Amino acid sequence: MSIFAPRRHTPGFHAGDDLQAGAALRLDGVRMQAIETGRSRLVITALVFLLAFGAVGARMVDVAVIDRNPPKPHAQPQARTDELKMERADISDRTGVLLASSLPTVSLFARPEDLKAAKVDIESAAIRLVAVLPELDLEETIERLSSGRQFVYLKRNLTPRQHYDVNNLGIPGLLFQKGERRIYPHGPLASHAVGVTDVDNKGVAGIEKRFENAMRESREPLALSMDIRVQTIVRNELARSVEEFSAVGGTGMVMDVRTGELLAMVSLPDFDPNDPPPPTDPSMFNRATKGAYEMGSTFKLFNTAMALDLGKANINSSFDASKPLVFGGHTIHDDHALNRWMTVSEILIHSSNIGSARMALDAGTEAQRAFMSRIGMLQAPPLELPEVAGPLIPSPWREINTITIAFGHGLSVTPLQLLAGTAALVNGGEYHAPTLLARAPGDAIPAIRVLKPKTSENMRQLMRMVVTDGTGKKADVPGYEVGGKTGTAEKAGAGGYRKKAVLSSFIAAFPMDAPRYAVLMMIDEPQATKQTFGFITAGWTAAPAAGRVIAQIAPLLGLMPKTLPIPPSGASKGIARTGGGREVAAVE
Amino acid sequence: MLRPLPRTPSRLNRTEMSMRDKIWQINWSLIAVLTAIASVGFATLYSAAQGSMEPWAIKQMVRFAVGIGLMITVAMIDLRFWMRHAYGIYAIAFVLLVAVEVKGTIGMGAQRWIDLGFIQLQPSEIMKIALILSLARYFHGAGQQEIGRPLFLIPPMIMVFAPAILVLKQPDLGTAMMLIMSSGALFFMAGVRMWKFVVVIAGSLAAIPVAWQFLREYQKKRVLVFLNPESDPLGAGYHITQSKIALGSGGLFGKGYMMGTQSRLNFLPEKQTDFIFTMFAEEWGMMGGLVLLGLYALLLAYGYAIAIRCRSQFGRLVAHGIATTFFLYFFINTAMVMGLVPVVGVPLPLISYGGTAMLSLLLGWGLVMSAYIHRDIPISRRGMGED
Repeated sequence: MSIFAPRRHTPGFHAGDDLQAGAALRLDGVRMQAIETGRSRLVITALVFLLAFGAVGARMVDVAVIDRNPPKPHAQPQARTDELKMERADISDRTGVLLASSLPTVSLFARPEDLKAAKVDIESAAIRLVAVLPELDLEETIERLSSGRQFVYLKRNLTPRQHYDVNNLGIPGLLFQKGERRIYPHGPLASHAVGVTDVDNKGVAGIEKRFENAMRESREPLALSMDIRVQTIVRNELARSVEEFSAVGGTGMVMDVRTGELLAMVSLPDFDPNDPPPPTDPSMFNRATKGAYEMGSTFKLFNTAMALDLGKANINSSFDASKPLVFGGHTIHDDHALNRWMTVSEILIHSSNIGSARMALDAGTEAQRAFMSRIGMLQAPPLELPEVAGPLIPSPWREINTITIAFGHGLSVTPLQLLAGTAALVNGGEYHAPTLLARAPGDAIPAIRVLKPKTSENMRQLMRMVVTDGTGKKADVPGYEVGGKTGTAEKAGAGGYRKKAVLSSFIAAFPMDAPRYAVLMMIDEPQATKQTFGFITAGWTAAPAAGRVIAQIAPLLGLMPKTLPIPPSGASKGIARTGGGREVAAVE
Repeated sequence: MLRPLPRTPSRLNRTEMSMRDKIWQINWSLIAVLTAIASVGFATLYSAAQGSMEPWAIKQMVRFAVGIGLMITVAMIDLRFWMRHAYGIYAIAFVLLVAVEVKGTIGMGAQRWIDLGFIQLQPSEIMKIALILSLARYFHGAGQQEIGRPLFLIPPMIMVFAPAILVLKQPDLGTAMMLIMSSGALFFMAGVRMWKFVVVIAGSLAAIPVAWQFLREYQKKRVLVFLNPESDPLGAGYHITQSKIALGSGGLFGKGYMMGTQSRLNFLPEKQTDFIFTMFAEEWGMMGGLVLLGLYALLLAYGYAIAIRCRSQFGRLVAHGIATTFFLYFFINTAMVMGLVPVVGVPLPLISYGGTAMLSLLLGWGLVMSAYIHRDIPISRRGMGED
């Protein structure tokens, strides 16, 4: 062995032997034997070690390189319905997961005259029919079969088995009509976006209605921008919060701030499109796009961005929040009044109504109106859904409106508008119209510049501060630099605002140094629980939900958690990228 | 075969060495190999913390530095000292094991630590070393005839199984198995007859159905999951499934340092401790894993060569026992993360984040080094210099 000094190698010396020449002569048979045993056992153990190393090494090669399950070709699995010509194209999410599809079915109908002509005993025919189709009511079937009409439907959408059984009865005058039935494999998961079809296979809500013609003309699946994994997480977390706070409903959305694509859109309560409730049912109402609400404090983001963008203020400018603001008989209070002058960042972090109002008054009514219009608050966004509502705009727009709009009252907008507007605040200042359709990789992304890049940078800092130092602490996710703003708006009821009925929302974007996604979580009328110490404000209700969503979707979307700055020395080749670009090449 | 050797120079024949001689004898290349392995650990811990020295890499470095100092100190001390005090050390370790049973800190559902304030002492780690020392002493100088007597083997059996049962009660199946297996290797090296091993192994195989009753629910689950990992990929099989995904995704050359997605996006659990090999192999690929394997093999070869080269039976057995323990750590851990053996909590030696394991391993290598430095000193049956 090279570890030993060469001078130790004396010819004739055996490893393990007694070194003394004299001793060697003293060796008797027993000791000889012991040494022989020891030596052979050393060899045996060495062999066992070697074998074990070999096994680990071989396994290493096995798991790392030899792939026993080679990836299957990426084409979608061929369904047996593929050769069939369907009336409607499928709907899929951005990764190709099926959200809506069509299955061929048959419907059973009867021509009562033919039965009569064939002299069929109506009663026994009905009994045999009901035996095969137990869902049918005997009385009603007899009535239908003996009616004087030309054509009566008995049952729609029979299974192949039922089809076969009815045919086997051999009753003349019973006929089948070929048709197709829409299937939604994920049930309620994306019900508000995908929509629903009626019994005549005609789209009556959502994408199904909006693209009625396109889907009848095309055979290609319609790919939505939605990511079913993100949708699942948002829906699970929203449902958890709605249940936890005994709320009446909620909405949650995730948007790619660089493209305007919606990765998730949930409105609770929702419905199962395979078995839709009547159109008037509250679960059919899409809060995300059709509900216009006074948003409350989340609007202070727009107010601050306006003041910064107009150059009327910078982050360190101060405004007088030392006493309530009295304007034309109205008094504006702060919830957590500090009663002093506050800087712009303090106004946002402590969510000061007075400070926000003073910033808006500084900018002026016209400037505010122009800014709100630019950022998409005064018109319905062109989303590809029939159920998109517009905002409720005050008319006339007086100075008192300017004051209340500064902190999110007096102008009702949809959650979708809030999300799209916030995305423009953080993405460098470009407004992308929200879309539910997946953009192809090479597509030009329509963008309207609404803010100076510098303003957007300031807004990112401020939103991050709200989470690190302000009301949004519970939304933070270590490594993902979440920024956001809470909003707790009292809902207007008969005779003024209702203190105990609020709309809690948290609008977030992450990671704040280079935002990729904006998240909105909104809970309608949460009730206080022990865990929130009686609070129903957004910091206790919506912010934790947003944090939970971000913690789950960020790794899923391939975003690396932020690394601390790495000293330039000793950096190996792979490190250089981690500072700026965070996506992993392997993920894409 | 043996021909009379010329009388060896007197400096090899003396029973005392001066401190200067000992320092001269320190095996620096062995320390270099240990440092190389530990450095792989530092780099991986740095990456596991998303490119930060905190909270793991820096502490691990400090521990390694302390450990190397400890190792050299232990190596300087005469091997005969260790032999004389082997039973005493064993007794202390045993008392500590009992103490942890009586009032230890419960962590991760098991009672394993004694909190001394500045360090969390894990007596089972100390026991691994102490057991090797006392077994080596017991078998040192025992003749073939004595070893042949079954009664002679009763005391060392008690020495092995008493602590093993205590450790099993904590419950720490992995450590208990390591205690038994490394002692088994010592028995083997001491020359215990083959058929006795056959009897013991056959007996324990027969006892498996009985032992199954005594396993905890989670241990049973681990074994069942090992036999069929796909049975519960999100529950008990989660660790091993994620580990295999990470290893497979590393491929031939890995994803690059600090680019391991499985580990950095937190899909891989325990990435800084028991599953650190997976994280390393994801970032450095199969080649990195094999290089690390080679480093470990090299270290074991050192231990082996020292054992062969040792003149005294005690030194030989100690070096062999420590090398075997180290090998078991390494083998069980890597085999576990690759799904070759069931999941047991055994760290990757010198790389996994953890204080006691690192210190006790380096202490063990200190003993090996001591055996190397004192390789030519003959030791009598009672631990005195032979003359």
